[in-house]
Amino acid sequence: MATLMQQSLRRKPVTSMAEETGTDHGGGQLARSIGLFQLSMIGVGATIGTGIFFVMSQAVPVAGPAVIWSFVIAGVVAGLTAVCYAELASAVPVSGSSYSYAYATLGEVVAMGVAACLLLEYGVSSAAVAVGWSEYLNELLDNLFGVRIPDLLSQSPEGGGLINLPAVVLVALCALLLIRGASESAAVNAVMVLIKLGVLALFVVVGAFGWNTDNFADFAPFGITGITGAAGIIFFAYIGLDAVSTGGEEVKDPRRTMPLAILIALTVVTTVYILVAVVAVAAQPTSEFEGQEAGLAAILEKVTGTSWPASVLAAGAIISIFSVTLVTIYGQTRILFAIGRDGMLPRFFATVNPRTQTPVNNTIVVAVVVALLAGLLPINFLAEMTSIGTLVAFLVVSVGVIILRRTAPDLPRGFTVPGYPVTPILSILGCIWIIIDLRPITIAVFLIWVAVVLVWYFTYGIRHSRLNTAGPTAKDLT
Amino acid sequence: MTVVIGLPRDERASAAMALGGLLARSLGEDMVVCTVIPEQWPPGFGRVDAEYHEFMEQDAADALERARALLPAGADATFEVARARSTSVGLLGVAQRHGAGLLALGSSTAGVLGRVAFGSVAERLLHSSPLPVALAPRGFRARPDATVSEVTAAFAASEGAEELVVAVAGVAARVGATLRIASFAVRPRTPLTAGIGSRAEDSVLNVWSADVARAQEKVLAEVSRLPHAPAAVSRVIGHGTDWAEALEDIGWDDGSILAVGSSPAGPLERVFLGSRSSKIVRQSPVPVVVLPRGATHDLATRAETP
Repeated sequence: MATLMQQSLRRKPVTSMAEETGTDHGGGQLARSIGLFQLSMIGVGATIGTGIFFVMSQAVPVAGPAVIWSFVIAGVVAGLTAVCYAELASAVPVSGSSYSYAYATLGEVVAMGVAACLLLEYGVSSAAVAVGWSEYLNELLDNLFGVRIPDLLSQSPEGGGLINLPAVVLVALCALLLIRGASESAAVNAVMVLIKLGVLALFVVVGAFGWNTDNFADFAPFGITGITGAAGIIFFAYIGLDAVSTGGEEVKDPRRTMPLAILIALTVVTTVYILVAVVAVAAQPTSEFEGQEAGLAAILEKVTGTSWPASVLAAGAIISIFSVTLVTIYGQTRILFAIGRDGMLPRFFATVNPRTQTPVNNTIVVAVVVALLAGLLPINFLAEMTSIGTLVAFLVVSVGVIILRRTAPDLPRGFTVPGYPVTPILSILGCIWIIIDLRPITIAVFLIWVAVVLVWYFTYGIRHSRLNTAGPTAKDLT
Repeated sequence: MTVVIGLPRDERASAAMALGGLLARSLGEDMVVCTVIPEQWPPGFGRVDAEYHEFMEQDAADALERARALLPAGADATFEVARARSTSVGLLGVAQRHGAGLLALGSSTAGVLGRVAFGSVAERLLHSSPLPVALAPRGFRARPDATVSEVTAAFAASEGAEELVVAVAGVAARVGATLRIASFAVRPRTPLTAGIGSRAEDSVLNVWSADVARAQEKVLAEVSRLPHAPAAVSRVIGHGTDWAEALEDIGWDDGSILAVGSSPAGPLERVFLGSRSSKIVRQSPVPVVVLPRGATHDLATRAETP
């Protein structure tokens, strides 16, 4: 009889992962069709749009104009973690999320911990993004038709409303599309990248006319702590960079392409973000950021004195944030699907509707939970929860890279971290540095959440895990 | 159970004739070749309309003559010109008079060679015909002595899907063809921007495929209990990111035909092509027979009686 320790540290054999994803219908080997440019665009497309449209109004009050440095710090840490992620992903020959990599390499209980983080990175972030979407929708409605959805129906209870109805509707729409089997193709991603970069370029060019050097006068009113605190919030805007790391199976010459694509995506994204941040900070004093809704559009309106540039930006934001919400909710459903297949969640999550060929139950549960979060919670709380979840997931991944180098040094890896062991260690330190400066309430809620998931694991998951019934597990990956 | 061939008066005629001939030969039934021309208007001033009708009649007679030449040696058929306000109404009228059990049509010239494309007549009949409708891919041909060797029944996991398989099994047994049931998994690739790898969709599909395979096994067990079962039965799942790929995935032989049921959303006694079936039909490289639910039920009952 295995001890609790042995049980909770058991690893999922890679062979059974390969079986689940299916090699019986020609899915065994994916064509290596993605080149450097396309992979970089995937990184840019997955990253821009999650946070930049609304993160300024939370980050600037924390850091002041020095928020520009917060973008640099968050970007560097995101880049380091993405590189570590790529090594772990390449060590497990079947692609998946960091949940499945952790399950294959670090053990079941770690995988569940990562799953708790992923629920924040996907579920909570889609709620945050949906709230941001509703701000821009209101802005556009106001500009075009002079009507606003009343606060009662467009604000969370904390913001003085009842429920954020537009956010709820957006989530419901996405769920409907996902149930019907919608997906995002490479072509759609390319269009979205163009829209996002287009509207942000519009912001930078038009917003620059509002340049006022006086606004930089008190550059870092809250010192280093303020800068790292803001970096924690801003980290939210870098989520999605890891999408590059998970594409290894389809990438041509991954050893060369992966780090370059991460670097290119990171450079493009960080440059755009910093330009946006500089222009935004120069356009209005720090005090005006707090509580500003649809921030970028509001700044444009203030700078130009007319509403059309703001309307164009709002329209672009509405379209691109919609696609981000869709993909994020999609990711959440498929992660829960994988956990359900492994037995740590009820079978209910891993059933597929015969007609639509999609996991309908799972999608509905995700949509209801995300809609509740989006409808009832304020955006700053959601954004911070997302950041901490993502940071901890990346922290675990970076630790995992080091552990795996020690426990399985001969494991074939498609990609190895350059500058080992400095890179993973820097990545770990960077994550910790940002995490400790988040608000105490965020850290407390996060710890409670992880504890809840682990209680679930030790009461339900550990007994229902498919590894209980699947016979002896492979001793090692090698 | 006569086969009525809706004869277009142009180069599409050969595909319709080839399909009608193949089906009549396989079923051992008569064949009626019918072309429809407009009804005459009430007599008016001048003889313009009459001249037009003379021309139409001559055109129809020529078309039938050409069709006769397309018949393989030894085959026989009735040739008929129908007058009606629309082609579909005319064809159904002729079918009714002959007590026909099947309508055979060609594809529109707007389609791709080797695929089924609906013309206006087919489009109309696929949403109203009380008889099963057979459609030939554009440019379809068959050897003069060929018969149907394999019938593939499209099997969706929806209401009435088993009945279609049983009905098709009965017909397949009668014509000495093998039966194959096919389901189609059409799923887009996992979007990489979601950051969950390239395989998330595969594992969803795998669960779906396992469920469908069980349903297919169940219905095949039902088929094997029929008094006259087809000589061989098989099941297959076609995978693809779109319908064309999924249909291609399962492979098709000469002498194959595909049978598709009507949507449960449509009326019982008429063909009503659902949105999914419509996509399947349009991507089919072999002739397709679309059955109304009423006829499916009758055929299934017939297959079940010893």
